[in-house]
Amino acid sequence: MIRVLLADDEAMIRSALAALLRLEDDIDVVAECADGLQAVAMAEKLEPDICLLDLEMPGLDGVEVAERLSRSIAARCVVVTRHARPGVLRRALASGVAGFLPKSRGADEVAEVIRRVAAGARYVDPEVAADALSDERSPLTDRELDVLRTGRRGETTGQIAKTLSLAPGTVRNHISAILAKLHVPTRQQAVLIAEERGWI
Amino acid sequence: MSTALPDAIGTRRLSQGITATWWYTATGVLAIQAIVVFMWVTVFANLGHGTGAVVVIVLGGLAWLASSVVLLVQYRHRDDTAGPVAGWRGTLLPIAIAIVFGVLSGVISGMWVFGALPIAQSLMLLNWPRGVRLRLVIVSMMILAALWFIDGRDALGHQDIEVIRSWWLFGVLAVGMPSMTVVSLWWWDVLVTLDRARAAEARLGATQERLRVATDVHDLQGHHLQVIALQLELTERLFTKDPDAALEQLRLARASVIEARQGTRDLAMRFRGVPLPDEIANAVDLLRAAGTSAEASLSSDADQAPASVLGPVIRETTTNVLRHGGGRWARLSLVRQDGTWRYEIVNDAASDSSPEGDGSGLDGVTRRVAEAGGEVRIERARGDFHVIATVPDAADGAHVVPGGNR
Repeated sequence: MIRVLLADDEAMIRSALAALLRLEDDIDVVAECADGLQAVAMAEKLEPDICLLDLEMPGLDGVEVAERLSRSIAARCVVVTRHARPGVLRRALASGVAGFLPKSRGADEVAEVIRRVAAGARYVDPEVAADALSDERSPLTDRELDVLRTGRRGETTGQIAKTLSLAPGTVRNHISAILAKLHVPTRQQAVLIAEERGWI
Repeated sequence: MSTALPDAIGTRRLSQGITATWWYTATGVLAIQAIVVFMWVTVFANLGHGTGAVVVIVLGGLAWLASSVVLLVQYRHRDDTAGPVAGWRGTLLPIAIAIVFGVLSGVISGMWVFGALPIAQSLMLLNWPRGVRLRLVIVSMMILAALWFIDGRDALGHQDIEVIRSWWLFGVLAVGMPSMTVVSLWWWDVLVTLDRARAAEARLGATQERLRVATDVHDLQGHHLQVIALQLELTERLFTKDPDAALEQLRLARASVIEARQGTRDLAMRFRGVPLPDEIANAVDLLRAAGTSAEASLSSDADQAPASVLGPVIRETTTNVLRHGGGRWARLSLVRQDGTWRYEIVNDAASDSSPEGDGSGLDGVTRRVAEAGGEVRIERARGDFHVIATVPDAADGAHVVPGGNR
């Protein structure tokens, strides 16, 4: 029996998917969570085999949940999303997510992915991969993206520098490089562009 | 999407052009003022005023030029909604400097026109509403002309023709300066308006494109939703009488949903697509993020490779490598050899058990490549897994060169 934790903030989709997955003989949905923090708490308590995480959730997103869980328990994570942003796929792969698939897949396909991932394989949906490959390339370096991501909620240069353990001058240099590359006058606009295109 | 970068460069070039034009405009206005100040100084020196007076005029003239710079900067960064006065430091101080300079030179020279000119000129540089500036420039030209005439009654009646000539020259400059300034600024305004119109046109184009996509999506979804509604209604009716037929209708409804999804996705993908080098670079990024050490080698003209044929091959093969996971390395290459594009991806096939499913994906792309006159080979050698796709050079789009390389 594969023990599955399901986290999705959309109640109708969550309950329907849980009901469909329970119909499978070898899958048991042990927990249904409505947000990321709850998912982390429940997963650490129940230690399921597979965590099926929605990407867009309040609090922590699916990849962040997977990142936290990878440090505490052995559960393998599958991230499900409606908008498969390429940057997210990169982040997910880097943080060890074992499966990535679009929300549009039927429950039978989801069950198949759960079985594969439980057996130790990795599954990246071709549609998600195609999106990621045919996307405009980000002109920014990883470090510059870190700076944008850390400062996306209007944090000051000093705060960004502290979080990333950089000198404030270095952060300022990164920011001016970002503004020049994206041809925008403010960091706020750079963050908007990067979010829109799924770079951060 | 792929045109975004050239657009950005074009926009930057244009904005550089606009900045340059602004410098011409500002320098032109300041140059006229500098010439007038210089003439003033020479006139004062010739009229036999003391050194003190000349120094006062020189310093005052420099201060006036500096205040005009401030006003011009204000003008450049002005806001359409703001009035002519943009605050104490931006407007009132420069105007005050102009007034002080005017009064000083007027008192020292005893001539009205010297007093009025700096003030009139500085007023022209303010951000007046439409139409007001025109009236202002006409009024100030009339006043300046009248003052010039009053001041020059002696000079114009002078015996020396040189005195009369230089007074006339000064008159033309003095009376003409506000209008020349206003014409320069007007020209600048026209340019800014044109630039805005261009930007608005670009935005309009993008908006229209979006509207078109929205309409397409609406039509597509509307059609499918209606089909699904009918299929579900039929299911409801058949449910008790003929459960098997009802089940069949349900399956059809699900198929319609999938079709609708795919259609929407195809619509969205129509506006996607990047040059192949970017696609391969994306693939390398993803593989590295997944912990595979990936490398790519491309020929320099790889962006001319047929993207519509090779793009799906790159996507399919990369997805396969990603999906199998656990691979330690992968190498991608895209080169042109004797009129043929050759894409190759090699990776260590970590698991011999070729997982089911990827075969069908490769079959699909193999068919598409074959339609374009190329071929896809899959080879296994010493545990390495090769996929090689070759496509004749002109395979992108409809025309394949007759008798082209196969």
